[in-house]
Amino acid sequence: MSVPSTPQGKSSLDPKTPTIARVATSSAVQSSPHYATTRRHSLYGVEDRVIIDAGSRIWKVGFSGEGRPRDVFYAGGAEEAPLWNLSRPADALEKAEEERILEFRLERCLRSVFHDSLLTDPKARKVILVEHALLPLYIKDIMARILFDNLQVPSVSFAPSHLLSLLAVGRITGLVVDCGHLESVALPIFAARPLFPQLRTTPLAGARLTSHLRALLLLFGTYLPPPTSLSASSIPAANRSTRVPQEVLTDAVVEEIKARCCFVGDGLNDDSRVDTRDATPGADESSEPDLPPSESTQSESDFSFAGRSSHRASSEFSIISNPRIPAADNHRGESHLEALAMLYTRNSTATELQMRVVPPVAQQTGTGRGTLIIPGWIRERTAEVLFEGGDVDESSIAEVVLDALVKVPVDLRKTMASSILVAGGTSMLPGFIPRLQHELVRAVAPPQAPLRQPSRTDRPDRPPLPQYDRYACLRPMLPYFSILNNPNPPVATKARANANGGKAPAFSPATMAWVGGSLAGALKTGGVEVNREQWDSVDAANHDGDGNMDVSMEVEQQIVLPDWTRSPLPAGAPSANPVPQPSPVPVGA
Amino acid sequence: MPPTVDYHCPCLSRSALPPPPHLPSSSFNFHALNELFFCEECDAVRCNRCVSVEVSGYYCPNCLFEVPSASVRAEKNRCARNCFMCPDCRNTLSVVPSDPPDPGDGRMAIPISTIGEPPFFLYCNHCRWDSAEVGITFEKPTGLAAQLQKFEDSAPDSLEFERLKEHFEPVIRASSLSSSTTTAPAAHPSSAAHSHRVRTNSITAAASAALARDIPGVGKHNPLARSGNRAGAGGNKDKTANQDEMPEYRSRVDVTSASKLGSGGGEIDVEYMRHLENVGEVASLEQRWMNSWATPLQAAELKPLRIPLHSKRSKRCPVCAHILIKPEQKAQSVRYKIKLVASNYLPAITAALPHQQDAVGDSSKRTLSKSTAAAAVAAEEERSAAGIHAGKTYPFHLALTNMLYDPIQVRLTVQRVHAPAALPPSSGRASPDKAPTTRRPPFAVSLPSSSFPIAAFAEAWEYEDDEDDDMFGLDDDDEFGIAGRVAGRDKDARGAGKVKMVGVLEKKANVTVVGGEVVIGKEARGNVKFNMLVSYTYRSDDPAPSESNDADGPPSRAAVANKPPEIKTFAFYTVVDLGPIIPREESR
Repeated sequence: MSVPSTPQGKSSLDPKTPTIARVATSSAVQSSPHYATTRRHSLYGVEDRVIIDAGSRIWKVGFSGEGRPRDVFYAGGAEEAPLWNLSRPADALEKAEEERILEFRLERCLRSVFHDSLLTDPKARKVILVEHALLPLYIKDIMARILFDNLQVPSVSFAPSHLLSLLAVGRITGLVVDCGHLESVALPIFAARPLFPQLRTTPLAGARLTSHLRALLLLFGTYLPPPTSLSASSIPAANRSTRVPQEVLTDAVVEEIKARCCFVGDGLNDDSRVDTRDATPGADESSEPDLPPSESTQSESDFSFAGRSSHRASSEFSIISNPRIPAADNHRGESHLEALAMLYTRNSTATELQMRVVPPVAQQTGTGRGTLIIPGWIRERTAEVLFEGGDVDESSIAEVVLDALVKVPVDLRKTMASSILVAGGTSMLPGFIPRLQHELVRAVAPPQAPLRQPSRTDRPDRPPLPQYDRYACLRPMLPYFSILNNPNPPVATKARANANGGKAPAFSPATMAWVGGSLAGALKTGGVEVNREQWDSVDAANHDGDGNMDVSMEVEQQIVLPDWTRSPLPAGAPSANPVPQPSPVPVGA
Repeated sequence: MPPTVDYHCPCLSRSALPPPPHLPSSSFNFHALNELFFCEECDAVRCNRCVSVEVSGYYCPNCLFEVPSASVRAEKNRCARNCFMCPDCRNTLSVVPSDPPDPGDGRMAIPISTIGEPPFFLYCNHCRWDSAEVGITFEKPTGLAAQLQKFEDSAPDSLEFERLKEHFEPVIRASSLSSSTTTAPAAHPSSAAHSHRVRTNSITAAASAALARDIPGVGKHNPLARSGNRAGAGGNKDKTANQDEMPEYRSRVDVTSASKLGSGGGEIDVEYMRHLENVGEVASLEQRWMNSWATPLQAAELKPLRIPLHSKRSKRCPVCAHILIKPEQKAQSVRYKIKLVASNYLPAITAALPHQQDAVGDSSKRTLSKSTAAAAVAAEEERSAAGIHAGKTYPFHLALTNMLYDPIQVRLTVQRVHAPAALPPSSGRASPDKAPTTRRPPFAVSLPSSSFPIAAFAEAWEYEDDEDDDMFGLDDDDEFGIAGRVAGRDKDARGAGKVKMVGVLEKKANVTVVGGEVVIGKEARGNVKFNMLVSYTYRSDDPAPSESNDADGPPSRAAVANKPPEIKTFAFYTVVDLGPIIPREESR
């Protein structure tokens, strides 16, 4: 057992030994169970651990002690669905089937990590699994089972990805936002100890960006089918242009547009901001000064010219022969998107792009490939979906950061606010991090006074109710906000923010967690380690008890994979007679 | 799609029963025969999912150089010689010399050396990418990777990484020292000096550890951390600064300065993207995602990639660790030293639908005679004729080929999916949303229920054309022999009347064709896919489990001659997929 520093029973508390204990375990790093030093002397040949950063879509794998992953790949192919997503079937049988499929796919990925990517013998390599804070336990169990049973690795440690990202920038304290594919998670970490209860998450992340991009392209993109013959290519493109067929936008095409064309523009001006989430134009003029009634009536005609012709005469494709949005079947979703389009076209100066795409099978009559025309505002403003807050369940990324910050103990807020770190693949969009900084400041800024104060009808003599101001308590923090890896940190008034903002090493946000894992492996540390012997002994005990394979899932839960959700939470005062824990279950990791 | 037969590998699972065929996950448990191995020690099928893999050698797929395993690690699994890939199209790059200097008198320059003129650069013959565009040229045309090595060693990510390691190392060392005093305080004399009270039990130790947790905002008196505490000017003014007592890390290259060079997602990148004219100018995700360092977006900045090494692998049985397959060491060789593949042990089974073959034959005849305009119609007809329609009955053929040197007796059994407890409801059928609520599959399969023989494998010249099944004296199974012959003879006249469909249809050399029949239900959907248990018995004359006699002569004769023959049985599951059912409403 190589998990030394874990306090056996956290609930046990002896009030007589404070000072001694404090001297004994003085180092902040040591006292953190997440960063427990394991063995100093490793066996021959296994010093380099295998670091696996397994996401639902993209995996990064490599050896510890190296500055970059050896291999990055789509788990299960670029065209396939992600390994897991946020929902699971409710039916028990479907769930079991889904788990089986997941196990097979994970097994394929994990085997290919060792055999194809790293070309190494799994039996001689310890593994550090970079673990997302909200990775479902069943996935973790499956991965551990494959690693121990199928690949027979000597040990597996789980290291929280947020902490590893922080290590990669040379720190152990900070507020880490990980914008991945399925969700964006903000987690404050103090002295290498993730403050899991302060974790905040939102599904506004890469997957949502992809679906939003697809919706915008379907509605506002233009598709030119390939000319039917080589001589027919003289037909002006405007006559050939059609709406984008759904089949053209395969997952790979949308993904490519996202990676190669999209970026994040500057924040919209506050006066032109619209609550884009559910507002229909003209629904509530008073609160949305940017959409005066005159303009919303105008919008119809605007859109019959695809909303661009008047502004951009230079674009030859802008006049679409068939009006793409018939006013008759203008249902709510589309009209909402229209309002968005109007707002965004006004706020975007990006160039229009053309992309060659494979025409759909049904229309493959022409020569060559079709052309997809991506309006510039889609490129610039698709990512707005990530910064639009206001929903309780789906707060914007800035709100997630602020919510986590609100929950942080007061005396840590300044520290956390001045060391925000952005990691994850979605934040690789150019301009993402500066925009996040802008959004943070904007969200904390005092709310604008509403145009019409709702006067209190019951007590007209009293002053109107103060507006709900969620982040008022963070307003003193405003000068301290700084993002460690902001490539363009604004000049702050506080020296501390200036000392932190943009001072992180220029590791790319997507690989930060992997680099941290590599660092942890090189320093012979990492998360809590589970050895093969431990696993095998529990496994053997399970199978001796009953030979039934089908229930092994439940039984194997007994091997306690360390996870922060399984940590015993002290309920009230610690008991005088602590019950011995079945096995050391540290907080987190 | 022609019907397929895949073989089940239990993969160390405790239950030998394969999963029900209608579940999508079942396809992961079945493999084509040519992908499977056979462990003689365990007498079991092994697949690529369960074997343990060992690397028996590394080589470059381009230059076929065998790389010693010692240098593989240092070279990051990539070829350390002259093999590079184009970053754009992943084609192999070739080394080309520069143009010879123009002598100025208008004549062709005489090449000075045979290798050409330095500087050399890498050139892609496919997309015309060349490495001079990104400023990579070479003095010599050999050892390019070594010439590039100095750039790689000084890559910003590895330098920064080393710096980070130096930054954390003293902290970790200090913490591990103090952790050793915490975990074993009684044994340590120096900690006894610290602690007045000897912590005798784990409870007090745990309590002290719990109390030792740093409390946010409460600074600890820690001589070690204080000495390392050189938090800058901010620390003095700001009481809350540097609460974690970690010395501040100063980056070698921070992201602000990196982004001034046009990388890292800053304003320069945004401006570049905003005025982008051509998608191809931006490198794709796959071209960028290996970089852990902030890299420019432009595709023009991509560097040549060293070709990743491949490995030759030997595979072992996961249970007994015997080698199942082992390649020859040489990279050029494609032979194996040891090769225990399942196709040498298990009978090969192929499935066919005779009506499908007829339909294909007919339509191809018709297509030949008609114009191309009718081809589409013919193809449509063929699809309809060759498909499996709901509510009809179809014969199918299974051809079993014996690869053993002994004759075998085979028995085929369709796995009944009867136990409702073990069987998830058929909601997981190929089309789960439209799935019928019945538990049973919507079709019934009949196969010959008794066992039938397949002659031994022999070299081709040992078979004689005329006496295909009398040769090995297998007439002990008369009824099937006759049935097979009758059916085989009637095969050409099929369709004329009622012929025998279920039973042995044809025997020829070491191949036996059996017929089966599938009755499709009226409301059937999905695929006709069923699990079939194949069990075969063979005579093994030695107790050693090598049933493939290495005797080249007719092994059956030798076996009959002496010794009481030892009968062994082996059984395995297969899944037979005859193809999708065309539902009622669609069928014309």
